[in-house]
Amino acid sequence: MSGVFLRITVFSLFGALASPAIFAQTPEFRVPEGVLPPIIPADNPVTPAKIELGEKLYFDVRLSLDDTVSCASCHDPRKGFADGRRVSEGVGKKTGVRNAPTVLNAAYFEQQFWDGRVATLEEQAKQPLVNPVEMAMPSHAAVEQKLAAVAEYAPLFQKAFGDPRITIDRVAMAVASFERTLISFSAPIDRFLAGDEKAISDSAKRGWALFNGKARCNTCHGHVGVLPTFTDNQFHNIGVAAKSHDFEALARQVANATEEIPDLAHQPGATELGRFLVTRERPHIGAFKTPGLRNVELTGPYMHDGSEPTLEAVIDFYDRGGEPNPFLDGGMRPLNLAAEEKKDLVELMKAFTSDDLARFEPLAKLMQ
Amino acid sequence: MRSLDQKLKEREEQRRRAFAALHNCDRRTFLQLSAKLAAVATAAGAGLAPHSFQIVELAHAAQKEGGETSFRFAYISDTHLYARGMSHRFVRAAMKAVEDVNALRPPPDFVLFGGDLAQLGQKEELDLGKQILSELKVPLRMMVGEHDWYLDMGDKWRDLFGEPVYSFDHKGVHFVTLNSVVEKDFWTERGMTPMERMVTVAGLDNPVQSRFEVGEEQRDWLAKDLAKVKKDTPVIVFSHSPLYKYYRNWNFWTEDADEVQKILFPFKSVTVIHGHTHQLLTNRIKNISFHGMLSTAWPWPYAPEGLPKITIQMDRADPFDQFDGCGDGTVGVRTDGQADKYYNLWDRSPVTVAYEQVASGKAAPAGPSY
Amino acid sequence: MRTALSISLTLVTLAAGFGVGRVVFARGPAGLGRHEEPATYRSVTACDRRKTVIVEGALPDQPLPAAKARQVAALLQDLMRFCDEEVTARMTSREEVFLSVNGLPYERYVLGSELPYLPAHGKPHTDREQAIWKAESDKIVKEGHRLFHSSDLGKNGISCDMCHPDASNTHPETYPKFQTQLKKVALLRDMVNWCIENPLEGPKLADDDPKMKAIEAYILHQRGGVALEPGKH
Repeated sequence: MSGVFLRITVFSLFGALASPAIFAQTPEFRVPEGVLPPIIPADNPVTPAKIELGEKLYFDVRLSLDDTVSCASCHDPRKGFADGRRVSEGVGKKTGVRNAPTVLNAAYFEQQFWDGRVATLEEQAKQPLVNPVEMAMPSHAAVEQKLAAVAEYAPLFQKAFGDPRITIDRVAMAVASFERTLISFSAPIDRFLAGDEKAISDSAKRGWALFNGKARCNTCHGHVGVLPTFTDNQFHNIGVAAKSHDFEALARQVANATEEIPDLAHQPGATELGRFLVTRERPHIGAFKTPGLRNVELTGPYMHDGSEPTLEAVIDFYDRGGEPNPFLDGGMRPLNLAAEEKKDLVELMKAFTSDDLARFEPLAKLMQ
Repeated sequence: MRSLDQKLKEREEQRRRAFAALHNCDRRTFLQLSAKLAAVATAAGAGLAPHSFQIVELAHAAQKEGGETSFRFAYISDTHLYARGMSHRFVRAAMKAVEDVNALRPPPDFVLFGGDLAQLGQKEELDLGKQILSELKVPLRMMVGEHDWYLDMGDKWRDLFGEPVYSFDHKGVHFVTLNSVVEKDFWTERGMTPMERMVTVAGLDNPVQSRFEVGEEQRDWLAKDLAKVKKDTPVIVFSHSPLYKYYRNWNFWTEDADEVQKILFPFKSVTVIHGHTHQLLTNRIKNISFHGMLSTAWPWPYAPEGLPKITIQMDRADPFDQFDGCGDGTVGVRTDGQADKYYNLWDRSPVTVAYEQVASGKAAPAGPSY
Repeated sequence: MRTALSISLTLVTLAAGFGVGRVVFARGPAGLGRHEEPATYRSVTACDRRKTVIVEGALPDQPLPAAKARQVAALLQDLMRFCDEEVTARMTSREEVFLSVNGLPYERYVLGSELPYLPAHGKPHTDREQAIWKAESDKIVKEGHRLFHSSDLGKNGISCDMCHPDASNTHPETYPKFQTQLKKVALLRDMVNWCIENPLEGPKLADDDPKMKAIEAYILHQRGGVALEPGKH
């Protein structure tokens, strides 16, 4: 496969590094030709030293209150960088309210979290650390202190940032840099779209026609050649939470709430308002970010609350036209899909599974 | 120059601060804030009306010089129903509007249905419409549109809803409902079947039909009806077509609008609420304010010419979103008889066109024209 | 003879022997092309100095016979219709007329017709031809209008004109463009098909379906005169 290095200057250094960071030793990491580079903030260029530090932090359970949870606990390389659970489990087996999305290609998303409440991976990385049902650290200062007590970190921070000072911003910058290397655009669907008719099954091909036609998937998950993440980076109410919640009552409740957005986002109930918590705009009530579809086969259960256990269930959900509610996106409607058509769509989704995930096996070993 | 990103961030920050302030402010501050935020059509707010999520609670929206809101009524308009099953997109949209209105707290005094209940005036369509509207929990005032009328010249509609032309008084306001979609006979000499006549009238850009008018008979009736009304009594007129001349080719037009306006000029406060145009639309002629209603079924582009300059134009609707550019809304009638018009755009932030804005006569910024 | 001339507003140039005006004698004018050079001729030029008739077979030193002179006068008068052009007419002894317009090669000319065009310029489209073509174009546009205003394309009773009266808001001049919702660069027909499949809930048309061509024809026709702006949003 032809490709261009994301950051040639960065990755050409890898060979010369005596780095323990496993990912930095996988030189085949690349963005396919013609695909835009991921979003990298100007103040946090990706460097091998930051990747190395970020990788170590990502897998380090000491970032949590009781040394049981790391970033990788919920974004596990063995599970498509998600966790296979309906909602995530934090310290003391506490559960949150939202399903862990995959980190693969998260570097391409213009907003992070299901409600898009932050714009960058850096800002994203900071929040789970202090979420009581995730890593549960009492504060960001406590994270800094705890890491400062781990002797091996100072040299890594020194190498990444020029001095050994450990700050929460640096932690986030390093983790985000590592996450920016978790990119995969190599799946049967890509080969099919490049002209290889044999890359996917006939069923999946029928699924592709449905995807772009009758099933209307492409309205939100359409394929864009230069940004083939299969998401429109927008927020839509498809009625997921309407199955169990009354949006109007929730919105009334939240209208008078004084909590900060992240706190509301963690509250059962309020969390279901999704993007509305951030923008307070009516069309965003119950709207959540369109996730990408790559590796969707590996990252069930589905939807922001993990309420759909299988791909078949997801297709059924859309076939019903989502769940009616006053804020249902106007693009949702019953699809009248035949049983065979539903199967074809599921087959298609399996063609979104990357075939280069073996690259991440060294990372998976860090989990054992 | 600020980038778009910066602008968006600033907007978000502005909104965040506004909401934070709202949590801890007295009523006076609240109203000041409300006015500011309503101006940028911001959604949601304290004590919000459940379907609106607008920062201004409608019942108290207009505490300005002209007086507080005395009462409000809701509207649903231009549902264009086909009797093709309950999953038809227009049926779902009409039901969504009914749910919206039923969810209003406090409930509106009544609901105006703005005409074009049916698409082709068929019995099944009108029956279906009646069935959907019967779910409304507040009293219903019906108006007729051309799509309801030209198959059987209103027979079925009258069976279901009574006479289309009437007046009533409510909380000191005199309301008049007209049938402004009268057309001169273009069908007899062409030997058209009733359905051919209906389809012709239903086509907005069909030049065969004649132009809408209120007609002499109704104008006489109107003059007589209003003769009993004191000149300082607020008058609100419901008409399906705009009671002014906007764009003749599409019947965004009433042929005898000038004569009808003349009858209304002597009154101190007159507001015309009309359907048919499926878009945000505002006009002011002398003492008369005109407000269009949204359709639940589909939005219409602005006509290539004739758009009143004070209209705040809606952007091009996204055809991929059935509800974009569609919706319902309310009219807040103030103690001085003037009206604030609220457009509940479903997949956008709602927009209030306050009386002050209309009266100022200020031209709105030019919008997209396609 | 004089009366024939007097109806002309401007004929002041007369053949030799008329007694007034200006007579141009020339021998062997260039550009007679494929025609055999006549033994004798004389030429008559109109008052605008831009229209000349070469009368073949006429004797240079004798007046034109009266009938010939009338023909020459009528031809010059006729040619005055083309006031902007430099025209040389050659009248053969058999009274056929060939014109050279602005110095270009001679072409046969029938009194009262339009100026002849050169083969290199292609043939001018006759009114008849244009009428035929227009009728055919109108037919496809009309069919497009019918389809556009008909619910036959879909299955739910909805038709294109319901959202696009007079094909407004179709902006065909902006295609091809990245259609954000299709996630790809689209042509007008792609969007037409999207509308057929979605709001109209009908089966999409093949790109070369006559119905598709008709719909495109109608939409484009409605936007005649609008400048192309491919890619505009």
